[in-house]
Amino acid sequence: MTESETAQLRAELDAANRKLAEAHKMASLGRLSAGIVHEINTPIGSIFSNNEVIMRSLEKIKELLANAQAQGSPPPPKAMEMLDVIAGLASIDKLACERISSVIRSLKTFARVSEHDLRKIDVNDLIRHTIKLSSAVFRRRITFVTELEELPEVECFPALLGQVLLNLVVNAAQAIADEGTVTVRTRSEPPYVCIDIQDTGSGIPPEHRSSIFKAGFTTKPIGEGAGIGLALSRDIIVDTHHGAIDFDSEPGRGTTFHVRIPIQHTRT
Amino acid sequence: MENSSQPTVLIVDDEDMVITSIRAFLQLETDYKVTGVTEPLHAVKYLETNPVDVVISDYLMPKMTGLQVLAKAKELQPEAARVLLTGHADKQSAIQAINEVGLFQYLEKPWDNAQLLLVIQSAIERTRLLRTLREKIAELDAAHSNLKDVQARLLRAFL
Repeated sequence: MTESETAQLRAELDAANRKLAEAHKMASLGRLSAGIVHEINTPIGSIFSNNEVIMRSLEKIKELLANAQAQGSPPPPKAMEMLDVIAGLASIDKLACERISSVIRSLKTFARVSEHDLRKIDVNDLIRHTIKLSSAVFRRRITFVTELEELPEVECFPALLGQVLLNLVVNAAQAIADEGTVTVRTRSEPPYVCIDIQDTGSGIPPEHRSSIFKAGFTTKPIGEGAGIGLALSRDIIVDTHHGAIDFDSEPGRGTTFHVRIPIQHTRT
Repeated sequence: MENSSQPTVLIVDDEDMVITSIRAFLQLETDYKVTGVTEPLHAVKYLETNPVDVVISDYLMPKMTGLQVLAKAKELQPEAARVLLTGHADKQSAIQAINEVGLFQYLEKPWDNAQLLLVIQSAIERTRLLRTLREKIAELDAAHSNLKDVQARLLRAFL
């Protein structure tokens, strides 16, 4: 095989891998979508309801004020009470809009199609978006804790790295059967930044430990995972970013995944 | 509970904003007593001592699901109508709810106020009819046992 043929095959393999990564990312977001829909529908419900109540209240206030004016009396206390209710509902609407927009912002971070540019980013920001999305789905049973140290900007492929983080955080939450905690820590160890994702779940049984980074290996039920996530995460961290990924696990006490990414990307 | 008393609605949702919105709406449009609880366990405690006409519960909440809350409500106050208000577009949970907890209605978020009000009004009517029915049955039972007593005394007097 000539050198140019090898190069072409490598380029085709790279393109196929990126397509697989993209498909996997969309599948992961799809699985999170029910939780995200819930997270958005609740504030939307409030905004709709509040809007209607505010409109009806304003009509009533107008009527009360017109009657008072006709009789030459001061504004009735009922009208003042209603204004207080309106002010309360308007501040809820602001909170609700902030909730929706923060979920959408996080979603946009992950849903960007084909963003494969090498860029310098704040990894802590990426982690915050990851936690935001994951907690939309799992927060009723999982407590998310972040211990993020100040980090230098890391040159990386943000969409790919985000996918790894989402994978590891969702895996961590799924490893906890009932209630528990997922903790994400970051620290700078030049020339690397280190990210630890720790769960209080069931741990990885010793017989599975050598297989978990292999493509096609999964312990999840059909529909929840195809055994691609960790294999892909390993490729993205080790092959694409020249970093490292490994884990410690203790059955019954949980698992911690350790990710190391070079601050400065080495071009090959 | 007296049927002439103020109708009572209990809303269980871990999101305070939902409770505030529904309460503001019901206070504007009705004279119902509206109680909101963000902790499912507190809702169960509340139901142990406070009679209500309708329980409206969210589905996904920490510690207990809405189905568990409504199942407890059924146990503690069987006549109180149970409504599930969920943002979780999950038909499976609806079917399960209807079968397991004898749901009066299943509503989805974002909800429509006019529809919500209709559901609550008919739920209150149903609850009150059930309570009246229970009172009438108890009265009939009492009258029946009175009659039996009279019959027994008559038989004793004539035989």
